[in-house]
Formats: sequence, structure tokens, C-alpha cells
Amino acid sequence: MDFTFSFTSFLSFLVAFTLAPLFMGVILKVKAFFGGKQGPPWLIKYYTLIKLLRKGSVYSTSTTFIFKLGPIISFVTAFMLLLFFPFAGLPPVLSFHGDVVVLFYLLGLGRFFTVLAALDTASPFEGMGAAREVFFSALAEATIFVILALFFRLSGSLSFAEYFSGDQFVNLWSQSAALIFLVLIALFIVLLTENSRVPVDDPATHLELTMIHEVMILDHSGPDLALIEMGAFCKMLFYSAFISCLLYPFHTGSALYNVLVFNIIMALIYAGVGLVESITARYKMDMVPNFILTSFALVFFATILTMEFVQ
Amino acid sequence: MNIFFLALLLIGVGGTQALATFRLYSLMKAGAVLAIIAGCSFGAYDAAARLLQHAEPVIYNHSWLHIFTFSLKIDAVSAFFLVPVFAIPAVGALYSFQYLHDAKRAAGTAINYFFYALLIISMALVVCANNLISFALAWELMSVSSFFLVIYDVHKKATRGAGYIYFIFTQAGALFIFAGFGFLYSHTGTFGFEALASIPDSAKLIAFILILIGCGSKAGIMPLHIWLPYAHPAAPSHVSAVMSGVMIKMGIYGIVRFYLLLEPTSVVFGQIVIVLGISSGILGVVYAIGKQDIKKMLAYSSVENIGIILLGLGVGMLGAASGNKTMAAFGFAGGLLHVFNHSIFKSLLFMGAGSVLHQTKTGASNELGGLMKTMPVTGRSLLIGSISISGLPPFNGFISEFLIYYGAIHGLSLHGASFVLSALAIIALAVIGALAGAAFTKFIGVVFLGEPRTDKAAKASEAGILMGTALSVLAASCLIIGVWPYHFVQAAFLVTQAIPLVSDYTTAEFMPLMTNISRTAALFILLFIIVTVLRKIFYIGKEVTKSGTWGCGFTQPTVRMQYTGTSYADSIVDFFRPFIRVQKNYSGINKIFPGKTTYSSHTHDTSEIGLNIFVVRPVLYLLSKLRWIQHGNIQLYIGYIVLAIVVMLIFL
Repeated sequence: MDFTFSFTSFLSFLVAFTLAPLFMGVILKVKAFFGGKQGPPWLIKYYTLIKLLRKGSVYSTSTTFIFKLGPIISFVTAFMLLLFFPFAGLPPVLSFHGDVVVLFYLLGLGRFFTVLAALDTASPFEGMGAAREVFFSALAEATIFVILALFFRLSGSLSFAEYFSGDQFVNLWSQSAALIFLVLIALFIVLLTENSRVPVDDPATHLELTMIHEVMILDHSGPDLALIEMGAFCKMLFYSAFISCLLYPFHTGSALYNVLVFNIIMALIYAGVGLVESITARYKMDMVPNFILTSFALVFFATILTMEFVQ
Repeated sequence: MNIFFLALLLIGVGGTQALATFRLYSLMKAGAVLAIIAGCSFGAYDAAARLLQHAEPVIYNHSWLHIFTFSLKIDAVSAFFLVPVFAIPAVGALYSFQYLHDAKRAAGTAINYFFYALLIISMALVVCANNLISFALAWELMSVSSFFLVIYDVHKKATRGAGYIYFIFTQAGALFIFAGFGFLYSHTGTFGFEALASIPDSAKLIAFILILIGCGSKAGIMPLHIWLPYAHPAAPSHVSAVMSGVMIKMGIYGIVRFYLLLEPTSVVFGQIVIVLGISSGILGVVYAIGKQDIKKMLAYSSVENIGIILLGLGVGMLGAASGNKTMAAFGFAGGLLHVFNHSIFKSLLFMGAGSVLHQTKTGASNELGGLMKTMPVTGRSLLIGSISISGLPPFNGFISEFLIYYGAIHGLSLHGASFVLSALAIIALAVIGALAGAAFTKFIGVVFLGEPRTDKAAKASEAGILMGTALSVLAASCLIIGVWPYHFVQAAFLVTQAIPLVSDYTTAEFMPLMTNISRTAALFILLFIIVTVLRKIFYIGKEVTKSGTWGCGFTQPTVRMQYTGTSYADSIVDFFRPFIRVQKNYSGINKIFPGKTTYSSHTHDTSEIGLNIFVVRPVLYLLSKLRWIQHGNIQLYIGYIVLAIVVMLIFL
């Protein structure tokens, strides 16, 4: 394992981790703008985290130790993703050939425990959310692994650090731009799915029956809920960073300039999520699989194209 | 070889003495269990030592009446399979001591131990057989002994039916294998294994397909898997653990062994195996989600895992045929390691399901719930088993799936059909992994979490200490292999050196990979501990209260409102509808003040329906036309024999 104990790697990781809640504020601001409201303060998510960490918790009498494991594992797995990701083209803290497979499976472990924690409460609503979560994420998983296959075909790499560095980088500005364009659309759909955003899931709805992710964490409170929230911020940050690294070639140019561009693109992606949320409604539940499968079809098509494209 | 025979002898003695001493019930059980465990320990130790010390193959020959030679050989492939063949039944024997507890059925129990011992011996002989005849004999011995193990509860009609189906499948499968052997013999003129590589390519393909069908029906490849969901729930749980964990892998062994012996060069072999792997894997896991009986569900999950193993082997075969070393080595190593891993977690899950069955007297998951509180050891072990079988890090299932991924991803540099199949293998693995997660969150969530759905579940208590020990040993192995995979992966790679293409493949490529994975697993565990401690610190001095689950405003919830396994599975099963049939009976609400409404659903196996229509019915029709041959007249039967001899004398 390449263990880059450089100051910049750690700094970029720490900055990304601390900025994750701020970016979530961007979504809220955009939604407020479209709603004609002033919206919550930019730092609202930090306030929420501090508030949650200062509280105690109420545990359901139905639950077991699994209910408490859920938040810890979902946070740790999402947090580990950030350690392996090259933010703004800077080398990540850790990296090895093949890390992408391990990391997406670690996310699967996080999901496994989130779902179990939901089922642990004996609540019918949480069971319903859990059933939807496993179904939709299974479809999104297929898209992600096709993307990994496509990237291997294009660049021969199997780790985030390799994707965005060297001669064989994958990027919208490389010679395989057309394929990357399809990947970008698919990845944005996966981002919406995996982070429970509109049109797959509506985190702001008032009715538990119509939720997916939010309903699974209904019974969590206090620091447990704070862990879940932080995990969700990390996951969202990871997918957005993945998209921004495909959008702009960060492996060239000066580091400071790259960091600036990276943050602007990130803010734009979050704003895009807010925009989608403002102008579309959540799909009916039976439409969601079709929406996610669209992303699969796009990347599968792109992969088939490489048969003639890359020889 | 001596230790090997000593192991077989001890196991045999253990099984046979049970028949003599069954009147002293506990003594008989203790004797049988101890002898079997001792024998298995010797055998497993010997095999593991051989494997890790790169021992030279040993051969043992014994000619019988100059008719044929009984020949055994232990090479790396045999040794690799011998480890689970000996190790898993040892744990199963430990478990069985408290699982079989009905002193009124002493004779039945003694017979069970006898055939249990015979099954271990025959499986050991299958993987060591060194010519066609020895293989066929050991194979049949294995089928017959496992048949008697399945029908332990012979007084139950369902069990007899399951035994019947198993017997038909295993014998029909054996017929295909023997047909394949006959075909090979007609080309080589000898029962030996050595000459098989020299037969023409087209003959290789036909022989391989025949053996693939025969071995596939034992392994449970879709659509030849139908006996699994019948036989496993019927058999006692330690038997289903051994059958599902080890015996069905003998089918995989057959496929691997004959692939290595035939040394095929065409890509078709790999392509067939990958396609079978994809169909078994995806459909197996979808049925596992759809089934609500815990042992049926585990049986279908075996079909899924056989699919994953075939994907690995298929990727390896494709790599070997296309000259891609990385693909060949990683595919084969992943498939083989998954054989080993699956034997651990599937036997863990079956024995755990057995404990649930033993303590609650029901296997219907929709009648269970909340067992984590009353059966903590069983629950925690099964949680580990479920994470492992879903292929999630840091447990062992992930290691083998990672190797297969790695092999398949390197197959993407190929062209044409091989490229498409490699891509499909990757997609299939991803989908199987995610759906396995769904199936096993359902298993743990519905059976062990939430509130008990019936009285049976509410009154359950923890199973016996030996049963708990057996589960804990297996669960610990899952974690150990997941965090320190190095030696296990190395063993799997040693076996792959039997393939000519990768015989010089060094350990240099996988060693850093395994170190990295093991470090990532360690990092995960470290972060997990840190966050757990931090969480504890945040709760210091805070108010922590207990209350009912938030019912979203509804204040009078009952346990029957919980999400059931059926509802959890519904949307996924619905998505795969053409391949899986769900029959729903709903009385509906048609009055203003509705009376009692009923709802029931049943998941049907499409392959079973298909087989019934296209094979069973035509065969039965044909045979009913031939009924007149069987008339019960002994004179005429003797006439048949004379006629047959005369005809043979004339033609041969």
C-alpha cells in the first residue's frame, strides 16, 4: 500500500472532511432560492452536528447491540473512502492497485449494518425503507462495477489515485471524452440514488411511508444520529469529488489553482443536486428501478463501445 | 499416505462402533464424535501440511482380482479439497452431540453416525481417486451414504419425498458422469487418468459437458439444483451443513479435476462455465431472497455460491485458453478459495439455522424474530456468517470474491466474446454480492432482530454449549481468513500451478495485494475501535433512556405489524418475475365492513416447473407404455436374462 505521509495529502483529506457539511448547506441554499425563501444559514449542518453531539439518546426496547453498531460502521466505512480519494488531484493518504473494489465493498458493509439497524427496531416503516434501500442499491452496484470495468479498459488502473494521474488518466478532456460523458450522467444518477436525493428519495418529505433512507434512521438520536449524518456527508462528498475529478484534469497545473477549481466544481455539483431537487418531484417507487437502470444502460453501452474504440 | 489411512480408519471405527453400542446412548454418541473428530484432525492436519510444505504427490495402488486397480493419489488439488472434507465434518460431529438428543431414536442415531463416517471417508476417496473406476466407486459410495443421512427422519412423509428426489438427481447425475467416463474409455482404452489429455479436442468437449452435467447436478448448478431445497431442510442440520458445505463441492472438484486432466485449449470451456455461473449465481440469490423457510433459503444460497465458484473457475479457464496469466491464476485461485470459504460459512449458517430449528421447532422465518436477545451466541455467529457470505470485508467471503473480480477485470483486455463475458462476469458478481446482502439482511433481520412474531420464538432459549462452540469456531475462522488471508490465498495459488500456463506463476503478484487488503481490514478494525471509544466518550454523563419504537404517530403497534420476510423480498422478487413465479392468494376487501381477510404467497421454482413439464411428464408417459414388460412372472424374467446373454454373445 502506498502510504503517502505527506503534509499535503493529510491536509487535503482533512479539509475535504471538514468542508463536507458546508457543501450540504449549498443544496439547502439553492432549494431555498427556488422556493423564494432566505433559507437556513450556510453553516446549518455544523450547528446540527454540534446540537446532536450534545444530546443524549432514547433507545427502543426492541433493539439490540446491532442498533448501536449501525451508525458506527456506516460512518467508518464512508470515512475510509475519503482516505483513498485524491482530492483536487493531490495524492491520497492511502492507495493501492485494486482499492476501488475494496472500498465499494466497504460501502456495502456500511449499508448492511444500516439496514440491520433499521430492522432491529421492529418498526414496519423502517423495514419498508430497508427493503427499498437494498433493492435500489443492488441496481446501483451494477452501474458502479461497469464503470470500474470501463475505467480499467480505458486506463488499466484499478485505484482512484491511478485513475486521475499519469498518462492513462480518465477524464472528460482525454481522447475517450464521449465515453466519459456517458459515465458522468450515470454517475450523477448513482450519486442521487446512493445519497437518497430527489428523484429517488426525498429526505425532506413529511410522510415516513414515502421515504427510503430517512425512515431507516427514524429511531436514532443524539451522537448516534450525528455519526450517521457525518457518514452521509462523507459519502456525498466522495461521489461529488469522483464526478469533479472526471470533469477537470487536476493532474496538471499548480496545486493551489487546482484546489480552487476543485472547490468551485464541487459547489456547482451540489448546486446541481439542489437544482434537480427544486425542479423535479420524487418518482413513484416503481419508476425508481427504471431510473437507476438508465445509468446502467448508459455505462454498459459505453463499455461495449470500447470494443472498437480501444484496441 | 499412512496418516491419511489412519484418519480414514479412525473415522470408520467411530462410525461402526456406534452401530454396536447404540444401547448406551450418550456413550455411543461420545465415542463416535470423539473418534470422528480425532480422525478428521489427523486428516486435515496431514492435508494442510502437505499443501503448505509443497509435498510431492503420493500414490497408492491396490489391484483387486486383476479386474481393476484401486488407485489413490494425493497431489496439491486433492490436498486442497481434503482440508474442508476433514475439517468441516469434525465441527459438524461436535455440533451433532447435542443436536441429536432423542434417546428413543438410539438406533436411528447410530445409523446416522455410521453413514456420517462413511460420507467423510467416501468424500476423501473421491478427491484422491486416481483412475476412472476408483472415482466412480467413491462417488457412488458418497451418494448412497448421503442419501441415508437425508432420510434420518424417515417417519415424515416430506423427508421421504426429499430423499426420493435426492436419490433420483444423484443417480441421474451419476449416469451422466459414467457416460462421460465410458466415452473417455472408448478413446483411451484405459481407466487411468494419464492418457486423457491426448484425446481429440472435440471428444474433450463432449466428455467435459457430460461430466459437467453429472457433477453439476451434485453441485447444484441452476437448473439442476432442484434437490437442494428439498434435501437440506429434510436432513438433520449437521448433515445439511456437511452436505451443503462440503459434499456439493465434490461436484466442483470433479469439474476442476477433469478440466485439469483433459488440458483443453479452447475458450468454449471457460465460456460455458461462466454462463452457468452467471445463471446459477443470480437466480440462486433471487430465490434465496424469495424463500421464507430458513433452510430452503440457505439451500438456494448454496446454488448462488456455486455460481460464484463457477464464475471464478470459468474466468480462470478463459484466461488459460487466451494465454492471460493473471486472469487464469486469479480466477482459479478465487474459485478454489471460495470453495474453502463457502464450506466454512455455509456450514456455520446451516448449523446455526439448526440451532434455531432445535430451540423454536419452526424454520419459517415469518414465525420467528427477536432471537438475538434470547440466543446471543447463535445470533452473533450467524451475523458473522451472514456478513461473510455476502462477500463483505473484513471477512473471508470478500477475499475470494476479490480474487475473482481481479481475474475478471484483467480479462477485460481480451477481445470479442471473451471481453463481453469478462464484463458480464464482473456485473454478475456485483449484482450477486448486492443481492446476497439483501438476502442475508433479511435472514438476520427477520429471524434475529425485531420482536418475536409468535410464542415459539418468544420462548426460545440458547442452544447447548457444544452447539455454540461449533458455531463460534467457524465464525472465528471467517474473521481470521478475512484479516490474515495470506496463507489461504497462497494455498489456492499453489493448486492453480497444476495448470500448465501458470505453472511458473510466482507469488509476487498476489502477495502485495493480500498485504494491502489485510492492512485495509486492519485499518477498518482500528477506526472502528476508535469511533466506538469516541462514541462512548460522547455519551458520558448524557441521559440515555429506553422507550418503545417510534410508530410514526401510531401508539398501539403489535408484533404482527413488523415487516415480514415476504414483504421485504417482494419488490426484488417482482423485478425478476419471468424467472421466478410468485403465487399470491388474497381474499381482498370488498365490503364496507370487511370480514376476515387472508393473504398467502408462495414462491415457485421455474426450473422445477419446466423440468416437470418437459422431462418428468414425457418420461412417465413413455414408461407407462412399457409397463407390460413388468408382469411379475418369474419364468419370463429368467427368459429375459437368457435372451440378454444370447444377444450379447452374438454381438460382442
